[in-house]
Amino acid sequence: MNAEPDMKFHRRFDLPFDPIPAAAYTSQEYYNREIETIFKKDWLWLARDEEIPNAGDYKVKRLGFANTAIILIRGKDGKVRGFHNICRHRGNKVITETGGEETFGSNRAAVVMCRFHGWVYNAEGKLVEVPEREKFPNCFSKDDNGLIPVPTDVWEGFIFINLNPTPEKTLTEFLGPVIEHYEGFPFGELSEVRTYYAEIKSNWKVGMDAFMEGYHVPTIHAGSFPGLTNYWQGDITIQGDHRSIAFYTDGVNPETPVGTLANSIFRSSIALERDTSFELPKLVNPDRSPFWGFEQMTVFPQTLIHVGHGLWFTHVFWPVTQDTCLWEGKYFLPKPKTNSQRWAQHYATLLQRNAWLEDTATMEDTQTALKSGVLDKVNLQDEEIMLRHQYEVIKRRVGSLEDVTGEIA
Amino acid sequence: MSVTLPAEFSDLQPLVKWAIPTEYERMKVRRFATSEELKAFYDVMLARMPAVLETLDSFPLNEIPASHSSLMHMAMSLAEVAPHVELYKLDPNVPYAFQEDRLMGPEMGIADD
Repeated sequence: MNAEPDMKFHRRFDLPFDPIPAAAYTSQEYYNREIETIFKKDWLWLARDEEIPNAGDYKVKRLGFANTAIILIRGKDGKVRGFHNICRHRGNKVITETGGEETFGSNRAAVVMCRFHGWVYNAEGKLVEVPEREKFPNCFSKDDNGLIPVPTDVWEGFIFINLNPTPEKTLTEFLGPVIEHYEGFPFGELSEVRTYYAEIKSNWKVGMDAFMEGYHVPTIHAGSFPGLTNYWQGDITIQGDHRSIAFYTDGVNPETPVGTLANSIFRSSIALERDTSFELPKLVNPDRSPFWGFEQMTVFPQTLIHVGHGLWFTHVFWPVTQDTCLWEGKYFLPKPKTNSQRWAQHYATLLQRNAWLEDTATMEDTQTALKSGVLDKVNLQDEEIMLRHQYEVIKRRVGSLEDVTGEIA
Repeated sequence: MSVTLPAEFSDLQPLVKWAIPTEYERMKVRRFATSEELKAFYDVMLARMPAVLETLDSFPLNEIPASHSSLMHMAMSLAEVAPHVELYKLDPNVPYAFQEDRLMGPEMGIADD
């Protein structure tokens, strides 16, 4: 008789142990259902306040899975509003997306003009100027043809939108306990950021999975984080559809000339001696353990927010097709005060960048295997509980694979 | 393109190929360098870092004059190269990694002056 593995975390949260079907990562029907029932219904993190600080500043973010792009523009009243980047005349893009996935700009008058025929909209979305207005029929009304609004709200400087014109929950309700959990963490003050992204030929969940467990650290990160091989997980919370987990370690990278020099100037790496004097929210590292490395919060569905000692970083996986996603990683540090601090922070950021290149290395191979038809399921151990919960939430929201593919058949 | 270093750092002149303004280009030059080139640059630059950083800190943040921007670029190249010497056994690429030339980022193309 086989002894049942302990699976203490799974038991604590009453989660099943069974393998996850490979088709959940490859089925076109399942992907379509995820888009309709999750990505077009939930609040999605699109920008930081600091990216568009002044009235008239805007960011346009493409959401390929929804065939749209969202304009986030700050009005003269200081409020950020979201709109589809679609002109109400004949559907041209109001703002030309010269930046590809993300385009930034600013207009002192806080208006945007479509380059096709010159229609002008203000930051409240109102259509304020239509050239040759008199040639449109009498029944045409400027008031009825403003930009199509997208529900937009902000938590701790994180600007979220919702593609559902009438969201089932407010952003506050959606985030729930996450708000209290991170209360007091100075996200806005740690605003020196470097962003990396890549289009990865894997399902968005394969990408999320790779970042949601510490099991991979001793092997995948043997190159960049050789000091973190002895790790353990703790402080697991399930917060509605969201969840958090902390990573503890009793090690740091070995002393090396440049690594040690950089860290002596500015402590800005999770793999080097950390600034344990940095004050954390009371629910983060609640026992104030000296071994605490960082904590990860999954803000369902596609965002991972990690907080550390005086630093934070994020990963987002945007679905593109059932086997393609767009990964974005951002690393946030305090604003440097000197040029040598800039240099030291750059070293730490590059070390993290390289670790992310190690993480992303697995994703396309995994997707290929899942698509091969050879592998019918994937196996999870107890500490991969974050992946398990992600899958269970998706199953609850979308339906089981059998339900979805059965309905289609 | 000729890069001139401040007189007191003329000893670094043979390594000015590493005076590269952007992360994107530094990454590329590092990937196509030999292990020997990485080590040679690392050894010389590391020894000069105390003086380099002291000089850079004689200017306010982000106000390094054009006469000294090459020093900052070379220091940034050391940050790029160091993990390959100190952690990756002189492999010019990040070992077991995603294809580096597919990585993008808005700050990668901006000069770190």
